[in-house]
Amino acid sequence: MNVTSNAERLVRQILTGEVWPPLGDRHVYRAGPDGQAFALPGMGGMTLGVHCGDPATGYASDHLEPGASVRHRDPGANMALQFLTCVGNAVRIESGPAAGAVGHVIGQHAYVVVDFAEPVAEQVTTGDAVTVTAVGQGLALPGHPAIVVKNCDPALLARMPGGTRPDGRLEVHVAARIPAEAVGAGAGMVSEYANTDLMGAYAGLGEDLSLGLEGLRIGDIVAVADADHRFGRGYRPGFLTIGVISTGQCMLFGHGPGPSSLMSGPEDAFALVDDPGANLAAWLHGDTWPHGDEEPGQ
Amino acid sequence: MSAGAGGGLHAVAVNMLGVVEHPALGDTPYRVDADGHPYLPAGDGGLVLGVRLGDPVSAVAGDHVAPGACLVHPEPAARYALVTYACIGNPAEVRTGHAAGARGAVIGKRGEDGRVVTGFRQEDLLRMRPGDQVTVRTSGQGWQHPRVPPGVMVMNAGPGLLDTLPVAWPGEGPMTVGVRAILPSELAGNGIGRPAAAWDLDLQLPAGPDGPDAGDGRPPGAGGLLLGDLVAVTGLDARHNMGYRRGWLTVGVVIHGTSPLPGHGPGITPILTGPLAALSAVADVNGHRGLTESGLRLQ
Repeated sequence: MNVTSNAERLVRQILTGEVWPPLGDRHVYRAGPDGQAFALPGMGGMTLGVHCGDPATGYASDHLEPGASVRHRDPGANMALQFLTCVGNAVRIESGPAAGAVGHVIGQHAYVVVDFAEPVAEQVTTGDAVTVTAVGQGLALPGHPAIVVKNCDPALLARMPGGTRPDGRLEVHVAARIPAEAVGAGAGMVSEYANTDLMGAYAGLGEDLSLGLEGLRIGDIVAVADADHRFGRGYRPGFLTIGVISTGQCMLFGHGPGPSSLMSGPEDAFALVDDPGANLAAWLHGDTWPHGDEEPGQ
Repeated sequence: MSAGAGGGLHAVAVNMLGVVEHPALGDTPYRVDADGHPYLPAGDGGLVLGVRLGDPVSAVAGDHVAPGACLVHPEPAARYALVTYACIGNPAEVRTGHAAGARGAVIGKRGEDGRVVTGFRQEDLLRMRPGDQVTVRTSGQGWQHPRVPPGVMVMNAGPGLLDTLPVAWPGEGPMTVGVRAILPSELAGNGIGRPAAAWDLDLQLPAGPDGPDAGDGRPPGAGGLLLGDLVAVTGLDARHNMGYRRGWLTVGVVIHGTSPLPGHGPGITPILTGPLAALSAVADVNGHRGLTESGLRLQ
């Protein structure tokens, strides 16, 4: 993105975590939109076969977290990990047969969600230790003072198309536009943690549930209408939030594929460009990704 | 004990213990409002004096202020159970402390960790303190209320509650509910995606100078919500978690006031949810009377 930022002033901090197990209870089932009982995988653990660029929906899954779901064992350290880790940050596997392999953060969802190449992912399991090079919180765009940036690695910002336009607006390419009525669980929570579940994307369920969002892909950059995520997550007409779809298919009602927040500000501070290619897959994992050949922490 | 319509199942009553909550804060006093300004949350839970059913939701400079005493339980699982099974209108009685013997009623409930909001006479609230034990005669959750059309689910309503509210069903066609305002689902904030049997739903009507009393271009009645009002939300199905569904309606009771937090606001405890063919709302912006102290015999 062609925009002036304070990236050179940001601190890089080394954090640790581990691939966290999926969690259940002895009652097993939860209820879907029509009351259907379900027990479906998706949250926690090392989820295989779904990566940036793949469809977000269409799986027999609930709260699908593509790739590795990472937490820290200490509650306070975990919140630091969740708050400070940004989309695009490099994550290195430290234990197990995949030790040394590097992946990238695609979002937060009460876990840090990390995408690894499939051959790496196949060797990772619950309990494997990881190192995160956290950088991005505090990122600011001096030429766009009304826009708050968060959860965004400066290297990701640099790779995104768009930037400052002659009229002063920030051009952002988005793969989809999300209506305000799609915003589900996550409303009212802080915007540096978890994500905003989008309703209306229950692939395979009733037409009366659909808001036409079944085509979302993991990694899509989206614009959520009337959403102000500068200091939390709330409905505010005339504001806009840019996010990245970091989780997928849900069966739990009021939940769905969710964007992690990247930017938020008044609608007229942005110039949106509809671009089906606006997806992390276009920028992460490439040979030119700044972290691709770099050891985290060095 | 109350029988369901047409020989349905009887409602069970269970006495459950609640404890008057003490407010709790972290080691910083501030929360951050929607504009990024710090504020100190006053009145968020616990025992609040001088705020009553019928007061405007933004009458006091607080955060999620509920009228009366919030009840919790020190064991999280027991707390969830208390919140799940307590229904609006259920009787409550103070067991310990200076107000022992005082009688009140459940007004509503709040989500996340869970709180039951109970109303008492102001003179009784003055004598209560956090830690006082209160017994709640919980009854009504999951019960099939009489005179409710097929397709409409009742929740969080004690037996007999609907008789005290502007709810009518002539035996055919949709049930009609009188409300203060009918709001679109994009105003549904914190609580969306959560189980309505144990959570409230915050309406994203901001506090402060642009708050519900400001009367800007929002739906009629949204600017004048009172504690205890019934409010309808369109496009919202609250049967299995609260979520978006076209052609549905959910009606709730306003049980706490505004909040400066983004995504938060006056909260409703849902009591009715159903398809528009079976449940309809009529807004009466000026004359509406919902849940009142007299209806709960708190006067």
